[in-house]
Amino acid sequence: MARTGVSDSKPLLDLHKKADDRRAPLRTWANACGPIDRWQPVEVDEPKMAPVKMEPEPPERRWERRLSAQTSDGIIMGFHEDGQTHSDDVVDKCVEERVLLHPRGLQSLHSLQALVPSLLRREVELALETLGLVWDRAFAWDMFLVMMRTQTWYSFPSADLPRHFTDATRAVLVDWLIKVHEMMHFQEETLYLAIHLINRSLRQIKVSTANLQLLGMVCLFLAAKKEECLLPEVSGLCYLMDHTYTRHQLLRMERKVLCGLKFDLSYCPPLHFLVILTSVARCSVKVVWMARYLLELSLLEGQCVVFLPAQLAGAALCLSRQVLQEPPTPEGEAAWCLASSIHVGSETALLRIMHILAKAAAKAHTRETCATFIKFSSPETMNVSRHPGLKNASALLGVCT
Amino acid sequence: MAHATSIQYEPVAEIGGGAYGTVYKARDTESGQFVALKSVRVQTDQNGLPISTVREVALLKRLEQFDHPNVVRLMDVCATKRSDQETKVTLVFEHVDQDLKTYLERAPAPGLSPDRIKDLMRQLLCGLAFLHSNRVMHRDLKPENILVTSQGQVKLADFGLARIYSCHMALTPVVVTLWYRPPEVLLQTSYATPVDIWSTGCIFAEMFRRKPLFCGDSEVDQLGKILEVIGLPPEDEWPTDVTLSRKNFPSFMPRPIAEFVSEINEQGAQLLMNMLTFDPLKRISALNALEHPYFRDEETLTQTKR
Repeated sequence: MARTGVSDSKPLLDLHKKADDRRAPLRTWANACGPIDRWQPVEVDEPKMAPVKMEPEPPERRWERRLSAQTSDGIIMGFHEDGQTHSDDVVDKCVEERVLLHPRGLQSLHSLQALVPSLLRREVELALETLGLVWDRAFAWDMFLVMMRTQTWYSFPSADLPRHFTDATRAVLVDWLIKVHEMMHFQEETLYLAIHLINRSLRQIKVSTANLQLLGMVCLFLAAKKEECLLPEVSGLCYLMDHTYTRHQLLRMERKVLCGLKFDLSYCPPLHFLVILTSVARCSVKVVWMARYLLELSLLEGQCVVFLPAQLAGAALCLSRQVLQEPPTPEGEAAWCLASSIHVGSETALLRIMHILAKAAAKAHTRETCATFIKFSSPETMNVSRHPGLKNASALLGVCT
Repeated sequence: MAHATSIQYEPVAEIGGGAYGTVYKARDTESGQFVALKSVRVQTDQNGLPISTVREVALLKRLEQFDHPNVVRLMDVCATKRSDQETKVTLVFEHVDQDLKTYLERAPAPGLSPDRIKDLMRQLLCGLAFLHSNRVMHRDLKPENILVTSQGQVKLADFGLARIYSCHMALTPVVVTLWYRPPEVLLQTSYATPVDIWSTGCIFAEMFRRKPLFCGDSEVDQLGKILEVIGLPPEDEWPTDVTLSRKNFPSFMPRPIAEFVSEINEQGAQLLMNMLTFDPLKRISALNALEHPYFRDEETLTQTKR
C-alpha cells in the first residue's frame, strides 16, 4: 500500500505558517472513502420488548435523570430498589401510576426489575457480536464490563500540555492526521488510537515543536501497526511530510515512542461505546452519523482528554439527538430508555462535553482545522456536518447559557 | 534509550541460557529491586519494528494492567537499535528467585503435601485461565518457567514470548525440552490453548513424583512414552495428514495412572487424566479444571483464588 504515487493531494502541515497560509488542500481527496457499513445501526428482526410505555419526554431530560440513579455496580442504572432512594421520582411515579391503573402491572414491575439487566445484556451482546468486537458471544458481556471498568486508564488527569505546545497547535496536528488517515483508508479505530497515542506521548516524552509532525505521523503509523492489515511504507509517510524528516528519523521516533509508552498501545476508543449505545438505542442512521461527526470533533479539542471514552460517546449521542430532534416513536423511546440505563457518566460531565462539542460544531466550518467538517459534509455521511441545527450552539444547549 | 536502560538496570548475574537467549538478573538502580532482563533481537526492515513484535508486546502490556496475582509482572520494555537490520527489544520482568523445579528439588524427603500440591495447582490454573481468556497461549509451560515466591505464590513466566521470539528462533537451532509437549505438538498438527493444559497435567504428576512423567529423547520416543501410559487412541482420534502414523505404535492399553503417580487421590487422578487426554478438543479447559471436584474442599483456599 505504498501511496507515494499520490501527487498533489498530499495533506500539508506547517505549524509555523501564518494562519492565512495554513488553509489545507482538502477537496481533492476529502470524502474519498464512503461510510463504513459495519457502523450502521444493528437491525434486529424480532420485535423489541418495550418494558414500560411512558409518555415521550424530551430525551435529554430523561438521560439526565437516569444519571442520578445508579446501582452499586455503577454500570447499569435504575430499576433497582436502591435506585428509588435517589431522585428518580418521575420514573417511579410514572411506573406506579401504571401499576395502579392495571392490576397486572404490579407483576410486570417485578419482572421489569429482573428484565432490564437481561434485556440490556442481550442487546449489548448482540451489538458487540454484530460489530465483530468479540469472538464468542459467551464472553461479550464480560468484555463490555471490562471495557466500562478499564476505560479510566484512557483519560488524563489534566488537559495541560507541555509548555511549548498549545491546544491550537495540537488541533492543527490532529486535523492534518485526520486527512492523512482518510487518505490511507484506515479504519476509524486507527485514528482514535493514533490521537490517544499522541496525547500520551506529548505527556511522556520530550518532543520539540519541530518534531511534532513526526511524532504525529509515528503515532498514526504505530496505530496502523496495531489495527490495520495493510501498512503504508515508511518512505510514503516521509513523502507525505515533504521529506522534512528522513526514514531514519522516523524509525528513531518510533523506538522513542514505543519506549516512552513502554509498548502499551491498548485503548478503548469512544467510538466503540458510541456504536454500542446507538445499537442498543436503535438510533436512526442519521443520528449515528451526526454522533460520529460530533465524536470526531472531540479529537480536535484538547480539553476533551480529561473525559472517559464512554462519556464522550454518550455526550456525542445526546447532542446528536438534540440537534436532529427526530419525532419520538414508542419503540425508539423504549430502546433509548434501555440505552440510558448504561451509566456513562455524571450529568455535569456530559453537559460539559456537550457544550464543548456544540461550540466546536457551530464554528467547524469557519475553522482552519476543518478536515472533519468536510469529511462529514458528504452525501455518504448524510451531510451531517452542514446540518442547520448545528449553527447555533447556545440555542442547542439552552441549559448551558 | 539504550544508555538509559543500561544505567537503570545493572546486571548482576546471568541466570539461565533460556531457549531464546540469555537472561540476566539485574538490579533496578532506582528502586533497588532485582529484575530479570530478557532480550529479543528482532529483524527490522525499512518499515521499523515488525507488526508481530509490536502487537505481541502490546498484548503483554495490556495483560499487565490487570495485575493478575499468578502472572509475573512485566515492569518495563525498551527497544534499542543494534543495526539497520536489527533491533533489540528488552523486556524487564520482576525477578523471582525460585522456580517450580528448584522448589520441588528443595522440598524435604516425603515431598509436597497433597494440600500444598492442590494449592499450587489451583494458582497455576488461575494464571493459565487468565492468559487463555485473553487469547494468550503459553506454549512452553514447564517447571522452569513457573515461579514460586518465598510466600508460596505461583507466577507464570515466559508466556506469550514464543511468538515474539519466533523470528529469532528460526536463526538459532535451540534445544527445547520435549517432556511437556502434548501429542498434537509432537505430531505437528495445529494446536491451541489445550497445549498448555497437557503441560499442566505433566507438571501436576511431577509434583507428586518429584521427577518428570514422560522423559522422551526424541519426538517418537516421547510420543511412545505417552501412549504407554494413556493407551493408543482409537483410529478416528489420530490426526490425519501427519507423517507419524498410528501404526508405528504398538496397541498400548491405557494403564491406571496411580501406577505412575502414587499418593494422588481419586479426584486428582481423574482431573489428571482429563488433562492428559490425547484429543485436544476433549481435553479439559483451565476454567473447567478449576471447577473440578478435586478443588472442591475449601480449606486450602488461598488469597490467590480469583
